[in-house]
Amino acid sequence: MTASSRDRDQLARCAMCADMCKYSCPTYLASGRETLSPQKMARLILYDEKGFLEEEEGFLDLMFQSAMCGACSRHCIYDDYDLREFMHEARVKAFNKGIIPEDVRQRLETFRKFGNPHGEREVKDHGAGELGYFIACSSYKDEALLDATERVLSQSGLEIRRFGGGEICCGAPLYYAGDMEGFRRVAASMKGEIETRGLRRLIIDCPTCLKMMTGIYPEVEQGLDVELLHTTQFLADILKQGALRFTPGGGPVTFHDPCILAFDLGITGPPREIITTLGYDVREPVYSSEHTHCCGAAYGAKIGDHRLKDAVTSMRTGELLETGADTFVTGCPTCKSALTGINMKYITEMVAERISARR
Amino acid sequence: MRLKTYMSQKGALPRGFAREARAIVGDEHFSDREGDLISYSLDYWLYGVFRSQYGDLPALPSAVVSPASTAEVQDVVRCAGEYAVPITPFGGGSGVLGGAVPLNGSIVLNLQRMSSFLDLDEVSLVAESEAGVMGGNLELELNHRGYSAGNIPQSLYCSTLGGWIAARAAGQFSTKYGKIEDMVLGMEVVLPDGDLLNIKPVPRRSVGPSLKDIFVGGEGTLGIVTRATLSVHPLPELTLKQSFVLPSIEVAVDVVRQILRAEARPAVVRIFDEAESERYFPKIGRKVTVIFISEGDTGYTRLDSRVIKRICRENGGESGGTEPANIWLRKRFDIGLGPFLMQHGGVVDTIEVSALFRDAAKLYRDMVSAMKAVEGVLEVSGHYSHFYREGACLYITFAGFPEDPMKYYRDTWDAAMQATINNNGSISHHHGVGFWRIRYMEQELGAGGVKVLRSIKNALDPRGLLNRGKLIDDGK
Repeated sequence: MTASSRDRDQLARCAMCADMCKYSCPTYLASGRETLSPQKMARLILYDEKGFLEEEEGFLDLMFQSAMCGACSRHCIYDDYDLREFMHEARVKAFNKGIIPEDVRQRLETFRKFGNPHGEREVKDHGAGELGYFIACSSYKDEALLDATERVLSQSGLEIRRFGGGEICCGAPLYYAGDMEGFRRVAASMKGEIETRGLRRLIIDCPTCLKMMTGIYPEVEQGLDVELLHTTQFLADILKQGALRFTPGGGPVTFHDPCILAFDLGITGPPREIITTLGYDVREPVYSSEHTHCCGAAYGAKIGDHRLKDAVTSMRTGELLETGADTFVTGCPTCKSALTGINMKYITEMVAERISARR
Repeated sequence: MRLKTYMSQKGALPRGFAREARAIVGDEHFSDREGDLISYSLDYWLYGVFRSQYGDLPALPSAVVSPASTAEVQDVVRCAGEYAVPITPFGGGSGVLGGAVPLNGSIVLNLQRMSSFLDLDEVSLVAESEAGVMGGNLELELNHRGYSAGNIPQSLYCSTLGGWIAARAAGQFSTKYGKIEDMVLGMEVVLPDGDLLNIKPVPRRSVGPSLKDIFVGGEGTLGIVTRATLSVHPLPELTLKQSFVLPSIEVAVDVVRQILRAEARPAVVRIFDEAESERYFPKIGRKVTVIFISEGDTGYTRLDSRVIKRICRENGGESGGTEPANIWLRKRFDIGLGPFLMQHGGVVDTIEVSALFRDAAKLYRDMVSAMKAVEGVLEVSGHYSHFYREGACLYITFAGFPEDPMKYYRDTWDAAMQATINNNGSISHHHGVGFWRIRYMEQELGAGGVKVLRSIKNALDPRGLLNRGKLIDDGK
């Protein structure tokens, strides 16, 4: 992303705001550190650009201490302004100077070696048709999720091409690390993987992959000519159409809104439709929908400091447990893998549990 | 450090203090890194914000110390006392009079890690929270349970409960729910010697002067509030909005007086002068507009709304419908104009004062006229936004494009404060004193008032270590 001069004026105004969005910022709330609040980050970016700072390394390190979740943008008093564009620019600068946090450096090394953030893996590619299901990196390593997905897809009666693994990746870890050359290359490769298969519609579990493909790929000239769907949208649709038979469940279920799904993609309704259609009661935490908090997960190298990541994860876990529910579902495989202290499922797993037979 | 500070410099901490403070809060929560010092250098004192865009900061702290518990606050305060290190408590940093600017090379005692919602007593209608909780988060916690504290300042999303108490804050719904001093029942305070004072939450008591009121408005100079118990209200069953256009400020003020005399209690009452009405409600234009929001139990709210309508009509009010109230509700947290003007060289600020009804309209005329006479002025406008049976708060906004920003800023403030004193008003309704209003305090309190306040300060904090240079000049 490149911020325009109009946006730079907005950055200067953001730096003189009263920090009206900071109550929504998970890294600020979890750390209790004013420096991580959006307006203070904006002021530091401005000071860095004007050459007022002496400790550039410290400044660049701070730029990796954001969840990049978009809560500030969602609750901003200014229209069409996103502080993350400037934090991302600072990350690009940090990457180009070789000043990146150790956690991020290790993840990049894995990526360089295996072409994905998680290490060696086989390519999976089966099924047919113009409707695709992309096995995101974070779904690939989750066998329970993959098994559930297989049950639901096969019972939906639809022809679906499943693919993922190997070096097939959306490139988000590189983007968040500030490696834009690497990201552009991986985005082009991902575009090729989709086009080669002749897909018209593509279902994706991971909100970050979806955000990359819808919002960021066009900025690096890799826009996709394919309809992109989040899994919750797809599941809500096929349930509405009666394509799945299921035995209703019951009792309270808490849905954790993934930050990117709620803030960047604006998808908060479909998961709740799925849960209620399956017969459960949605028990909302204090912080849900437009007030959700990031889970803290760093698979996209969003937060470059594992202590801060742990603090955000711990805060979010506590918020979810306060609902008193004993079942939790989410719409992001990374959130599921981060929120390990509770009985968290990806929403497809809940659907798979309830479906009884294909109609 | 390439940044310039124009009020006080970062100090060198005594040997041993940093080591002991680190041991208390943990290395991770003690910082003297550049990014942290800059971030705690300034609150929302708008002249300071104006200068900050040029890299000029009023002051830098010597370090930022972030305790996680009352016990840690006590230990840090005792440690600072041992080494004679001044302390500036810092909540949300939204104060507009410089109350959280770390003067005198002080350390910042950051309270933002102490933000837990602790308890809701639905029988007694009270809730307890740690003082570092952000207002917006406190409201989300309460709303989720079906309640509200009723304190909704424009700074809701960037100010803390402790900050509200320190500054004697008021919210937009204060005509029904009161100011923070009406809401706080009990609190926990760390005193300047590190000892703990617990003021238990009870509705009223008769055991000598109210100790609570020493710390409500104490601005962190007399103690550090670490927890508080507030009264809360069930979320309203019904909300009714109305607006009326009235012939003049004088008539509008008198209409609200009559409404309150009739015992109606709208939550929100705002009288906008012609300039603010035009800015908020272009369809109405340059006319005096009043909005009312009544809320609560259905039967009560309907009655409240009917009383308001009758009295407005009896006094020549023309209904503006619900739209002005809806517009105001949408825009009430939008502070974007200030930063925009500052970016283009404008000096902006707001001043809130209070007066009895008999003086309230003349106070508006005199303040606006005096402030408009200052060289460099662009606009002065006002509204009344908090009402009592006896009087109101008048809130004036000013902006100028002067050649000498500080001279314009000071002269405008002087003009406003003098007009307030001349009209028997109080120089502050809810923003507090900080360091900027100290020079008007003798006129406000009189020599006797200053003596009492200074004596309290010297008795509780003889070395003047807590938020030195704020609220009252204690001679240190």
